[in-house]
Amino acid sequence: MRRKASLVLLAFAVFLVALAPLLRWYAFPRLAKIPAGQYQEMVLEAKPATLLEYSSMKAKEVEKVTIVQTLKGNVEESEKIERSAGRDVVVWDSLSYVQGPDGKMVSAIPERYIFDAHSQAPVHATGEMVDGDRVRREGIEFKWPFLTEKRDYEYFDAQTRTSAPIHYKGERTFRGMDVYYFEQTIPWTKVKYPKKMPMPGIDATKLEQQTGTTRWYTTRRMFWVDPVTGAPVNGEEIHQEELRGGSLLGGRDKVTAFAGHVKMREDYIDSTVELVRTNRVAVLMLTSYLPWGFLLLGGSLFALALYLEARDRRPGDSAENTTLRPEPVGT
Amino acid sequence: MRALVAAAIGLAAALALVLTVTAVGAPQGETSPKPLLTTVPGPKK
Repeated sequence: MRRKASLVLLAFAVFLVALAPLLRWYAFPRLAKIPAGQYQEMVLEAKPATLLEYSSMKAKEVEKVTIVQTLKGNVEESEKIERSAGRDVVVWDSLSYVQGPDGKMVSAIPERYIFDAHSQAPVHATGEMVDGDRVRREGIEFKWPFLTEKRDYEYFDAQTRTSAPIHYKGERTFRGMDVYYFEQTIPWTKVKYPKKMPMPGIDATKLEQQTGTTRWYTTRRMFWVDPVTGAPVNGEEIHQEELRGGSLLGGRDKVTAFAGHVKMREDYIDSTVELVRTNRVAVLMLTSYLPWGFLLLGGSLFALALYLEARDRRPGDSAENTTLRPEPVGT
Repeated sequence: MRALVAAAIGLAAALALVLTVTAVGAPQGETSPKPLLTTVPGPKK
């Protein structure tokens, strides 16, 4: 009976000990992925900000500029691309909608971002774009990979349509969470006009060509990233845009189109931190809690199986040994 | 010999479980009917 129990325990011990590395190194890379149908909104504010008044073409200090960023997973498109790419793909349709203090639109820039659901590596497929222009992204955007490393990453900048390193600057604590801090500076670069601007009757795509006025941009972007999920829990940008030269400025060299320190709205920071904390536990279950738990439990069961086996085999315990005990000499 | 068989059963069960779970995978979900926002949403609850 004891023998049978030790064999059952041994089977369970091997099951659990084998499950531990399989879960961490086989199941986790395949199960951890961004859901294709994710929908997420984010509100960022620059308070105060400098904003160009297009009617007078003069920069004015305003109380607040709001940026509403929506990410929407397009499941039908991702399934279509998955068939040819042969891997799990996520298609995010996003819109960065900038609103002035009067509630009117300042700009609206749509994007389509296609990436590998597990690694966040970009996937190049038809439809990948920024503001209607075809782009070929390198590196990441919006989110870091699961189990983020302490190193620089290539980060795609939608305004310049190029990728540049975003530098790892060390560990920080944000709202009680241990996070990695990343920073990227885009130097002054000539960029395209957004196709949707508050200039009725003017074709933004021909503005530079018709007026000779160019649009320039620089930014310093900062992210506080949870290294387990790779999700940013906070983001800020010190953002500046200028119009330079040409007939639009009436002889002036340059005018500020937008300047401000853009930060996430407080209620969105709270909800993001809460969401990331929940997702973090799910990832840690697969990478740490379950593998270590199974390993310890498996080890204990193995020890118990050995103990039962040893007790079963101890001389003197069995009836067979008692009957075969030799008798003393000379009796 | 019986110990080896027991260990093999345990190993096979672990492999079968992990392969099944990963083959099934997580559901894809559906595209949200919510629009890309062009208004500032109110405070998040």
